[in-house]
Amino acid sequence: MKKFKNAEYLISLFLSILASLIIGAFIMLANGRNPVTGYVALINGAFGSKYNIATTFAKTVPLVLTGLATSISFRSGISNIGGEGQLYLGAFGAALIGITFVNLPGIVGIPLALAASLIAGGLYALFPAILKVRYNIDEVIVTIMLNTVAVLLTSYLVNYPFASEIGKMGGTEIIAEGYQLSRLVRLSTLNTSIFYVAVISIIMYYLLERTSIGYEIKMVGQNSNFSRYGGINVKRRMIFAMVVSGALCGIAGAFEVLGVHYRFLQHISPGYAWDGMLIALIVKNNPIGVVLMSIFFGALKTGSISMENATGIPSELISVIQSIIILFIAGESGFKTKIKSFLANRRAIKKAGEKNA
Amino acid sequence: MAEKLIELKEITKQFPGVLANDRVSLDIEKGEIHAIIGENGAGKSTLMKILYGLYQPTSGEIYFKGKPVSIKTPLDAIKLGIGMVHQHFMLVPSFTVAENIVLGVEPRKNRFMMDYRKAVSITEELSKTYGLKVDPNAKVESLSVGIQQRIEILKVLNKGADIIILDEPTAVLTPQETEELFKVIRKLVEELGKTVIIITHKLQEVLALSDRVSVMRQGRLVGTLKTKDATEQILAEMMVGREVLFEELNRIEVPREEVLTVKGIKARDNRGLMALKGVSFSLYSGEILGIAGVEGNGQSELVEVLTGLRQAEEGSVMIKGVEATNKEPMEIRNLGVSHIPEDRLATGLSKKATITENMILGYHNREPYATKGIHMNKKPIRERVSRLIKEFDVRTPSQDVTADKLSGGNMQKMVIAREFSFDSSILIVAQPTRGVDIGAIEFIHKEIIKKRNEGAAILLVSADLDEIFRLSDRIITIYEGEITGEFKRREISKKEIGLYMTGKRKGMRQGGVQDEEI
Amino acid sequence: MLKEIINLTLLQHTIRTATPLILAALGGLLTQHAGILNIGMEGMILMGAFFAIVGSYFFSSSLAGVLMAVGVGILVGLLFAYFVIDLKSDEFIIGIAINILAGGLTVFLLRSIFGVKGAFSSPDIVPLPRFRLGFLEGIPLLDTIFNNHTVFVYVSWILVALVYVYLYKTPYGIWLRASGEFPEALETAGVSPRKMKYISSIACGVFCGFAGAHLSLGYLTLFTENMSAQRGFIAMAAIIFGGAHPIRTLIAAFMFGFFDALGIRLQVVGIPSQFTQMIPYLGTIVVLFVVAKSYIRKIKKNVEGES
Repeated sequence: MKKFKNAEYLISLFLSILASLIIGAFIMLANGRNPVTGYVALINGAFGSKYNIATTFAKTVPLVLTGLATSISFRSGISNIGGEGQLYLGAFGAALIGITFVNLPGIVGIPLALAASLIAGGLYALFPAILKVRYNIDEVIVTIMLNTVAVLLTSYLVNYPFASEIGKMGGTEIIAEGYQLSRLVRLSTLNTSIFYVAVISIIMYYLLERTSIGYEIKMVGQNSNFSRYGGINVKRRMIFAMVVSGALCGIAGAFEVLGVHYRFLQHISPGYAWDGMLIALIVKNNPIGVVLMSIFFGALKTGSISMENATGIPSELISVIQSIIILFIAGESGFKTKIKSFLANRRAIKKAGEKNA
Repeated sequence: MAEKLIELKEITKQFPGVLANDRVSLDIEKGEIHAIIGENGAGKSTLMKILYGLYQPTSGEIYFKGKPVSIKTPLDAIKLGIGMVHQHFMLVPSFTVAENIVLGVEPRKNRFMMDYRKAVSITEELSKTYGLKVDPNAKVESLSVGIQQRIEILKVLNKGADIIILDEPTAVLTPQETEELFKVIRKLVEELGKTVIIITHKLQEVLALSDRVSVMRQGRLVGTLKTKDATEQILAEMMVGREVLFEELNRIEVPREEVLTVKGIKARDNRGLMALKGVSFSLYSGEILGIAGVEGNGQSELVEVLTGLRQAEEGSVMIKGVEATNKEPMEIRNLGVSHIPEDRLATGLSKKATITENMILGYHNREPYATKGIHMNKKPIRERVSRLIKEFDVRTPSQDVTADKLSGGNMQKMVIAREFSFDSSILIVAQPTRGVDIGAIEFIHKEIIKKRNEGAAILLVSADLDEIFRLSDRIITIYEGEITGEFKRREISKKEIGLYMTGKRKGMRQGGVQDEEI
Repeated sequence: MLKEIINLTLLQHTIRTATPLILAALGGLLTQHAGILNIGMEGMILMGAFFAIVGSYFFSSSLAGVLMAVGVGILVGLLFAYFVIDLKSDEFIIGIAINILAGGLTVFLLRSIFGVKGAFSSPDIVPLPRFRLGFLEGIPLLDTIFNNHTVFVYVSWILVALVYVYLYKTPYGIWLRASGEFPEALETAGVSPRKMKYISSIACGVFCGFAGAHLSLGYLTLFTENMSAQRGFIAMAAIIFGGAHPIRTLIAAFMFGFFDALGIRLQVVGIPSQFTQMIPYLGTIVVLFVVAKSYIRKIKKNVEGES
């Protein structure tokens, strides 16, 4: 029955994606382009060559981390919408280590930078978590507000106290070489962070699906009364989930610095945390789902550039498609109830008709 | 015979899994006070919500002044002159009294503007006409429940209601406020020609106030009779039904030892009102102590205080000699207390979780189910759950379905299986068979007795008197947050105990029963 | 230097920057009163800004631009309402989806319609007319500050008054507030709370459309990617700051507009503006904290008062 439920969900998911792609095809048609060529170019662009595959996976890195971050917080019933801010602070924290302790070897430096990003992101999430459990202040609003505060704060830092010497470009100096994660495929930004992400994904999967902590987090999110009644420390679990969530976003930021840009930039994230949130929402906070859906989103992102080059269809089409998928998934249960009550009504009318006859 | 104002014909209402009304036919005469009584869940409120257009009947018809009508929304009901005073007041807290009274029928000036002054004068006018004093400009949130009820009644009258439905109006009132309310109701009927339908489960009120009374049980109408022909005994019997002849449960003598001592507990309900006003009692091993009372007299709060879910303001709870007042639920569980909560859907389980997930709570961080308290071991967990499912006869296609797929009885068996498997020496059991089918009731009762015979101390809270009488070794009655009597098994009849549940007091001695004729 | 920062232009800019905040916040506070937290305002503003440009460019009329923005606002408001009210989807998921949809769709259309990346500007875009209040012309100070703004500046002030009257002085406003605070009370009084929620959501779309049109057709007549630039969230902050009261929200929006304008002035003279820009966000958290604390104190007081 659980399997059945999963199957039902997978069908919904498949239909949602399919419907969104079809809508995408219509948009292409309306644009005067051939959708088949468009999608073929997209798939080619995402997986057609070693470089393309590498780029797809490079784009997957921040999505997996922010997606997992969303999963753990949403599972526990406390919504971390502040991933973007935590990511910025984490990224800055990593960069700060990378430009300060320039003589450290990578083996010490990289863990240190990651620790800094983890702490920065985690602490930045701890604050709204405490406001939530102690004062019952809506964490959604607080984390949204904190996003912009973090972006502004780091923007100040890199434009003034930590501005690069080559002039105001909204970034820090390049981090020391020891911190730079090595690239794996020529020309692509894919770097060793993908291995870290693989390990983190496994740990998060284990934590959420195989441990008593993950079980408690899930129960707290589903029914906090039940959890408290059953002896779970609800507040502690919520805070834990939020801090881990923030830490993951911080690490996502660190990898952008250590692996991609080699410095902190004031617009370092084009909304990775929001994308990650979409991903987690689409797969209902399932960690394996997050990884797979991140690859899918990464492929869409990468493929869309080739699609644009090949057919002239603007690559932003894919964010339209992504948001339509989420609309379908968010409306899933509503649609189902509508359909079910419609069918039930018809059945009732039919039955009444038979009775009267 | 007076004119029939409303006729309900064969009204049936089917909710998912629950038949709330089963072919109920009822008529209301003009100018009468018609009481509808029945136990919780008998279907009274549902029937009235159908009459008021909040629910649609699955089948059946409503006639108004002899003509069939269709009441699709409250607006339709209002147009027919039907008004309803809900048990939970339908007042917007931040609005003023006048704003609430005219809600939906606001007086206007210049077509689009609310004429607030007119609203105030309407309120004052109503207040004068019906003798219900209210301050039109006060904000509702700052007023007492008694006053809020007045506003609710005035609101209904302002909509031109001739038929007023009052749903459990006295549940939240003090005796003085109740007396006031009755005066108002009589005035409405005798002087102003209104018709009143009152839902209640307090028998004295019915006898004191109504002209006719209809009794409901388990969704069905048992009968309607003139109040002057009724007595408390007759009504009680109709309400509860003939004594169901369950087989006598086998009890064995077990050594008694005090395991739970409650002294002078005071606690508030969710609205901040005093729900427990100094409750004291002791619970012994090898006994079932039944707490009998009309719902809402502090039972729920008592259970919550004992299990750590609610803070007590005064008093103490000792569990096996250990101070346990206001401890966290986890700590209380560790002292050997299991809890079957009264609301299994809100507290007893998680609907979205699987049976396995639901049944492992409490064991999820213990060996062998979790290595070092962290790594959960699938195999022993599944084996345990599958064993419990068998032992407690939980009917489910598999242990991986989500709990919301189970029937009420099986959900409850699942909760009981989990809680009883803790081998706790104290079981706090609230409403164990509410909404559960007969077969499951029998099973659950046997499990409870079995636990007793094994030496557990069981506190049983139930709104079902049959259940209390069948299971309890000792019964205490609770009324408005205070204990009003304590009885040994077989010492008192069901009918007599009703008096203690509605406020009669027995001279009590701490910790035992006084040999007093009753 | 201080003179360079604090001058008449600053006040003039305040009025200008506050206007989209006021408009969006008015929309958002309507949904707030109907019990819906709409974080999709950001996207609604962005779509409004884009479609205002489309309308103005193709029909050579700023009115057409505004109508286009409003039309799209209604559509997005309906979409939001349908998901949140009828399908009972999580309001903030739908809000996020709308924001992302708006971000993607506007850039996509920018490129497919106008064939440009990043920003679009053209002499064919007809800007909103500027207004001059004749009676102010002789008065030097007021003339500079209050005159020569786009029509929406004045419209927004009128709308504040209208929304205030609507919410507190008309039956419809009372229903709207009841639909958020206690929908069952409204339903049993014979008014459909669903209808009121729909109305608020559509109105929010329209007002955000206005805000967007003001941004793109107001002073610069151009559209840039993400030009809403967090204004939807600042508007939400203003709503919370103002306790969802139109006039207090107006004041909050002016305050935030002032800090925004001040930030721009500071940048001109080379002083970091980030801290002034942070004020709306941090201020909102402080307000939430104060409200929560006083709520806790109130409950305690109630309990003590009784016993």
